[in-house]
Amino acid sequence: MASIASSSGGEAAISGFLARRHARHILVLCLLTGGVFVFLVLNVAIGSVYIPAMDAASIVFRGRESSELFGAVIWDIRLPRALAGLLGGAMLAVAGLLLQVFFRNPIVGPGILGITSGASLMVSLVMLGGLAVGAASLGPLYLSAAALLGAMGVMLVIMAVASKVRDILTLLVVGLMVGFMASSVGSFLVAFAEESRVHTFVSWSLGSFAGFRWDEVGIMGAACAVLCSASFFLAKWLNAFLLGENYAQSMGVNVKLFRYLVVVLSSGLAAAVTAFAGPVAFIGLAVPHIARLFLGSSDNRILIPGCILLGAIVTSLCDLLARTLFSPVELPISATTALFGAPIVIGLVLKRRTSI
Amino acid sequence: MIVRTERLDIGYGKRVVASDINLDILKGQFVGLLGPNGCGKSTLLRTLARMLAPLGGQVRLEGRNLCHYDRNELARTMAVVLTERFAAGMLTAFDIASMGRYPYTGLMGRLDSADIAKTWDALATVGATDLADRYFNELSDGEKQKVLFARALAQEPEVIVLDEPTSHLDARNRVDAMLILRRLVREKGVTILASLHDIDLSLKVCDLVILVKDGRVISFGPPEEVLIGDNVAALYDMERASFDSDLGGIELRNGKGEGCVFVVGGAGSASRLYRILSKHGFGVITGVLPENDIDYYVAKATGAVVFGERAYRDISPASYAMALEGLSAAEQVVDAGFPIEPANRPNADLVLAAVAKGKTTHTLRPDGESRQQYGAQASRIISSQSVSALLRRLFAVECLRLAG
Repeated sequence: MASIASSSGGEAAISGFLARRHARHILVLCLLTGGVFVFLVLNVAIGSVYIPAMDAASIVFRGRESSELFGAVIWDIRLPRALAGLLGGAMLAVAGLLLQVFFRNPIVGPGILGITSGASLMVSLVMLGGLAVGAASLGPLYLSAAALLGAMGVMLVIMAVASKVRDILTLLVVGLMVGFMASSVGSFLVAFAEESRVHTFVSWSLGSFAGFRWDEVGIMGAACAVLCSASFFLAKWLNAFLLGENYAQSMGVNVKLFRYLVVVLSSGLAAAVTAFAGPVAFIGLAVPHIARLFLGSSDNRILIPGCILLGAIVTSLCDLLARTLFSPVELPISATTALFGAPIVIGLVLKRRTSI
Repeated sequence: MIVRTERLDIGYGKRVVASDINLDILKGQFVGLLGPNGCGKSTLLRTLARMLAPLGGQVRLEGRNLCHYDRNELARTMAVVLTERFAAGMLTAFDIASMGRYPYTGLMGRLDSADIAKTWDALATVGATDLADRYFNELSDGEKQKVLFARALAQEPEVIVLDEPTSHLDARNRVDAMLILRRLVREKGVTILASLHDIDLSLKVCDLVILVKDGRVISFGPPEEVLIGDNVAALYDMERASFDSDLGGIELRNGKGEGCVFVVGGAGSASRLYRILSKHGFGVITGVLPENDIDYYVAKATGAVVFGERAYRDISPASYAMALEGLSAAEQVVDAGFPIEPANRPNADLVLAAVAKGKTTHTLRPDGESRQQYGAQASRIISSQSVSALLRRLFAVECLRLAG
């Protein structure tokens, strides 16, 4: 009965604990928001052409019409690329988080359901296969459309399987196998294609935020807004799902609808990025883990905003490194993200005190 | 009637695991499901919790068909504690317990102060408030189970369904878990449906037990009426063990391998001997025991041949004569060191008779007491000061006998 007697005191203590934790979460999210702006500025200011930070800022704030010397560099090249990096990173991180919760497996990322492989397959068909007739003249949006089509195609297959199969692990295996099949077809095409086209395809398949145009940024921004906020409103169910499907169901979660939504949202997020930037490795896998450690919580209501901000920061950083490290040679984005992400994942897996 | 099943068939897909199940469970009862592994206990629980659809018949919860409940309504009426383990990542015990409030919260699951108070109460009821701010993954199995009880309780359910709630727990946590569940029944009027492995605990905590075997409910009723006779041994197909509801435990029947030992016991002096001899495969004959003696129950349960005498009677010459005949069949005789009173004086004579017949005779009495009781014959009785020493000597004599 001692616990009952001290119950009101303990209750006050837990309220205090919750309030302190909430304050910490808000603080971390504020810092991350600041970080996003810092990296946006850095990405606009730093490049092969030197532009003083003050000039860069004034060009951005005065708008496109400014006839400054570097106006074109900033407005046509750096700003869309920087924004695409932020949006792409945010979307991949959220997709990774959704899939990690859904598969209850810490080492899955957006690549796991074969979505990026589907996109790659369609792009390889366009670049290397018979669909390539006149592709170059149709421009990059044609390529993006093909990638989106491929990603959505695989997504539909996965959804069809998801509606039939109860077991999540089966879904995971099907996704992996569909991915393997798609990359196998891609390899066929590579084997029979011209040398120069293969080079173009390989550089696309390593991913890059270079050459983003404003209309592409617009499409990505809209997709990001819709899909990320939908994911945010799924946070309660995601939390319940941390206890497993059966517990989630016993707490009133519509498990069937939930599965459907997670597959649609995560595929949509991954497809929207892959379509424009190509496959970007490791962001979706590593960022959710870093966000969990920063926030000290697995509560998805706080993790989703955390992943959006941290994904944007990490991708911006990786893109900045890819551009500047060996300038004028530009590295593919997956080269830096993998170098950055893999050690973090290894470190986390080795020293996890409480399992991630 | 809080839970009722009508001609319920359960199973997966087309495979029927058990059929024609008719149960009536009243509010505030603690109901245990017993049966061998694979008999359909979990399937039944999962069907009762609507994790599986019935293959036939129906489940009624508070008079309504379970299928007609909407998700949140069901979650407010029934909570579960499952065997499956999960990695909760960086969630605290409080976070886990507070998920029990999900059926009551809005889109984002935001807890208001009433939700926090109810979660706290649930943690207090199971005695887990000191765990509240610790990471769930870092808790011990017993602590985790308490938090999961609290989570179920925070759902404010009428019914809690538990799948083998004690299976990962050590002896102390097992008892604690049962006491907590008993308390929920008593203080909150919750109905508990749990599959259990401990028959002895079920006997002590359940109001009703359901025995499931071979796709059928073979028995349903108060454990005091159901777990009797050979029901339990039959339920688990135990040929070499038995469950005694008076003793409340399982006794091994391992006898007939080694030679036969006649034990002269009484007043509880021989109970541990029956167990150890049975464990090591000796056949046991024993007597003369009053039918209300603990030794009588243990001897029966371990499968010994028992010569009894009606309770509160002196040992009659007839009983003595029968026991003496039994003694002749044994290779060795053990005097368990029973208290000698007028009523059982013939048992002391049995020991002397064994010596006279040339049987190897042992006693657990100290030397002095042995001499005082048996006089000159005491020198022909092998005295052992502990049960383990006695066991060594029994084995030694047995080996000599087999070699000779």
